Amino acid sequence: MSESVESELKLKCGIEVHQRLDSHKLFCNCPSETKLGKHGIEIVRMLHPVASELGETDAAAQFEALKGKKFVYQVFDDASCLVEADCEPPQPLNADALEIVLMICKLLECDVVSEVQVMRKMVIDGSNTAGFQRTAVVGVNGKMQTSLGVVGIPTVCIEEESAGIVGEQDGRIVYRLDRLGIPLVEIATSPDIKNPEHAREVAEKLGALLRATGKVQRGIGTIRQDLNVSVEGGARVEVKGVQDLKGVSDVVRKEAERQRKLVEVLVELKKRFGGKINFEARVVDVSGLFEGTASKLLAGKRVFALALPRFAGLLGRELHEGRRFGTELSDYAKGAGVKGVIHSDEKLEAYKISESEVGKVREALSLKDEDAFALVSVEDEAVARKALALVFLRAKMNVVPEETRKALVDFGSAYMRPLPGKARLYPETDVHPIRITKEMLENVGRKMPKTPEEKKLELVALVKNEELASKLLRGRNLQLFERIVAGTKADALAVAATLEETLVNLKREKVEVEKISEERMVELFVEFAKGLFVKAAIPEVLKEMAGEEGKSVEKIVEDKNLKRISGDELKKIIEEEVKDFKRIMVKYRLRVDASEVKI
Amino acid sequence: MYSKEVMRALENADVREGDKVCVRASGGEYEGLLLPRAELGGENCLVLKLDSGYNVGVEFSAGSEVELVERGKPLVFQSSDFNVSVVGGKPRVSILGCGGTIASRIEYKTGAVFPAFSPGDLLSFAPELKDIASIDCRKLFSLLSEDMTPKHWQVIAREVAVEVKKGVEGIVLMHGTDTMSYTSAALSFMLQNLPVPVVLVGSQRSSDRGSSDNAVNLVCAVLAAQSNFAGVGVCMHVNMNDDYCFLHEGTRVRKLHTSRRDAFKSVNVSPLAKIDYSGRKVEFLRDAVKRDERRRVEVDDKMNENVFLLYTYPGVKPEFVEKLDCFDGVVVAGTGLGHVPTNPFDDEFAQSIVPSLKGLVEKGIPVVIAPQTIYGRIDLNVYTAGRMLKEIGVIGDGCDWLPETALVKLMWALGHVKKVEKVRELMVKNVAGEVSERSPVIEEERGE
Repeated sequence: MSESVESELKLKCGIEVHQRLDSHKLFCNCPSETKLGKHGIEIVRMLHPVASELGETDAAAQFEALKGKKFVYQVFDDASCLVEADCEPPQPLNADALEIVLMICKLLECDVVSEVQVMRKMVIDGSNTAGFQRTAVVGVNGKMQTSLGVVGIPTVCIEEESAGIVGEQDGRIVYRLDRLGIPLVEIATSPDIKNPEHAREVAEKLGALLRATGKVQRGIGTIRQDLNVSVEGGARVEVKGVQDLKGVSDVVRKEAERQRKLVEVLVELKKRFGGKINFEARVVDVSGLFEGTASKLLAGKRVFALALPRFAGLLGRELHEGRRFGTELSDYAKGAGVKGVIHSDEKLEAYKISESEVGKVREALSLKDEDAFALVSVEDEAVARKALALVFLRAKMNVVPEETRKALVDFGSAYMRPLPGKARLYPETDVHPIRITKEMLENVGRKMPKTPEEKKLELVALVKNEELASKLLRGRNLQLFERIVAGTKADALAVAATLEETLVNLKREKVEVEKISEERMVELFVEFAKGLFVKAAIPEVLKEMAGEEGKSVEKIVEDKNLKRISGDELKKIIEEEVKDFKRIMVKYRLRVDASEVKI
Repeated sequence: MYSKEVMRALENADVREGDKVCVRASGGEYEGLLLPRAELGGENCLVLKLDSGYNVGVEFSAGSEVELVERGKPLVFQSSDFNVSVVGGKPRVSILGCGGTIASRIEYKTGAVFPAFSPGDLLSFAPELKDIASIDCRKLFSLLSEDMTPKHWQVIAREVAVEVKKGVEGIVLMHGTDTMSYTSAALSFMLQNLPVPVVLVGSQRSSDRGSSDNAVNLVCAVLAAQSNFAGVGVCMHVNMNDDYCFLHEGTRVRKLHTSRRDAFKSVNVSPLAKIDYSGRKVEFLRDAVKRDERRRVEVDDKMNENVFLLYTYPGVKPEFVEKLDCFDGVVVAGTGLGHVPTNPFDDEFAQSIVPSLKGLVEKGIPVVIAPQTIYGRIDLNVYTAGRMLKEIGVIGDGCDWLPETALVKLMWALGHVKKVEKVRELMVKNVAGEVSERSPVIEEERGE
């Protein structure tokens, strides 16, 4: 058995999917739209500790975390109201959104609760104006079949989306309220996922199942995957914000790898320390040693150094491609507001730090050969000390820490914050419990979408091409495909091929196909179904549509001389071209339907 | 309480609220902590708190089973220790609890909101209090403000006087917002010759949420209670932002929104002061009575509660108005400048209530007029309807009072004098800032 397969066997992995539903907001009648234009007024708020049963210390900790923190909320008049501004009680839970979630529960073979009880989940980062997110369990004990067996779905929840973060402005965190309150379904799997590829399969299957309802939002940011990963000896780590399905397996693989390597680093460190990793924090102001340094990074700034006894060589240890143990320490330092730290296992000459400068630092910290150090350079001493304190804190950990990390573009991840403890949930007393009646379930039963399997059979029958049917099912065009086919009577195969192949090819040719709206695609096929142009002309028409947003398809066809030739005119051409099929098709490929050329 | 059948089944299974149980029902199998029935939830729906912290309702019907998994602690509310002082060398401010959202706490297991009022509770949501004052807390009652009565106003007035006599810097009253302006008006009449500020404060968003306006309001109220002012005021948010509060004059403030943080507005006058929460500063916006510790407070709390507030409306019936003769006084919230249906043109549908009102006046029942427009001054000289009211002896021409303040003042006046003419004299005289002769031009939504 190879090493990697063995490690995968000890992998524990679960997925949490958040998908926006295609309905108005969960607790008010605002549309679920994120707006493009300028926002209206801004509201400035603070959050305060909430009196709790957990005692003074808890409140004190909350107070410290929130002290002086201000949040700014941008109001978008058409997409947020007093409910999002936390200035009006929530309205009853959106029944339409609940129906979609019941549908999803049924597809996942869940038990559905008899009474949905809306809870408040405490959130103190300001992303919810109320200080909590409203969430409720709808289904439990569900399951999904996969190629590697059953994956359990312990809970399916309905919840509200948080406010979108805009950024920081004069120390205030700015959020936008258009996103707050959009209904979401949250599906959590058990840690039944067997390996990185399996994770991708599960994520894909869940995505397809959600899209099959035809009642979920599509587009960037409407679905998010969080991955829970741990390996033996490692720790539960949640990697948040994996947007691209293709990345799921790589993220799982890299995280497993990272934890495995961290375990090795720990073993080595413990050996060097002869037991527990334990040392004193020693920080020295070494600014004086860098007077007249060639290093732009350090010149003219205050420089502080932290001794990392017995860490030599380990900081440079690669955890996975693009990430070293030192990077982990550096990520913690970012919590103090610095860009990172420099450590002694790096190629310091790259920063123009000379060997003699390194020697002086080592001397100042009285380091031995097996010792390492970390450097930080900033204007503010307090910030520098805080950054190094965080590095010290991370370096001294004797276990792989439980963390919440954010996914990076290279499918690695960076430290965000410690894994939160058990969420604090208490009932949302402003929203009545919702009874799930037999009638509601029967009603949902009648509206059930087809399962992905049923859907595939139907698509294959319609499109008569298995590969295209699978692509439609996996991709994000299914709803548009169905809309076009139902609305235009256009040939299903032509529609499928256009959406799944032509558009992809044009994109590769750098045609800006994303500029073509769904409405325009419908228009294209309305004209196509009328026989205005032939299938072969579609790419040409699309190219024009991407360039000329205001021009009608009819006009494009006319201007580009793409109008279909048929009937008497075609007969004439056939005569003219002396019934040479090949000659006709070469000459009139874009204007003539081959099946009509009867020779 | 769950239904009898469910309670019996729980008893048979030796299961109590607070136990960890396993329920097998047609809707599936669930394990969790058994909670009391959800308010407004079905009586056959067992509420379970799952390990994840979520609550779910599980229908328990014939054939369902419940089984004890682990005996839990019985669910009881923690009682807080009342009447404890927070020590410190800061100015002394007394906080009296009169109920309401601001003085409530949540029990996290069940979600029940219950009154809580100890220094510990206050400090847990507004720890900054200990830096600005030495607080004495006392609970007068746990009450929803809609349940307040003039009797409660009297209790509050007397207790405030007790605190004043202790020589504190100021007094803060935590109060529900619904009827807060009635109480502030009543205290304005009852507490005379006040040497220090008496500040009512509440919160529009419950204290069980991190976004509650309680902390900002309470801290600002404690600051206002230490400011150079003597009298009764209401301290609430300026706008939807958590940065400033206004101190409104007790007789001149009204709740004008059901839910917004800035529901309270000063009517026909500017707010007394603007309080900067972060800067811990009180800035007076107009002249106010200054504090003077040499004054000795007098409690003048005689009230006659037998007063009616009639909100007139199109089609109001004269027969109904006639029936108001069981009251000792009537306030009419009239339309526009102070009008009621008078039908001077003998319209076939319209019905005048003037004869009915005249009947009341003739029986010695004072009739007072106030504007249902809320903003503006009564003027009975402009239109026929007004002139007719003036003629029959309605009280209040030229008064710029709020209907609720006029109501409270009438109760207070009738506690002191009986004769209509005496009542008129007392009513139109400014006692506590409730009426003024000038109508200042006020910028709209000052301070925003």
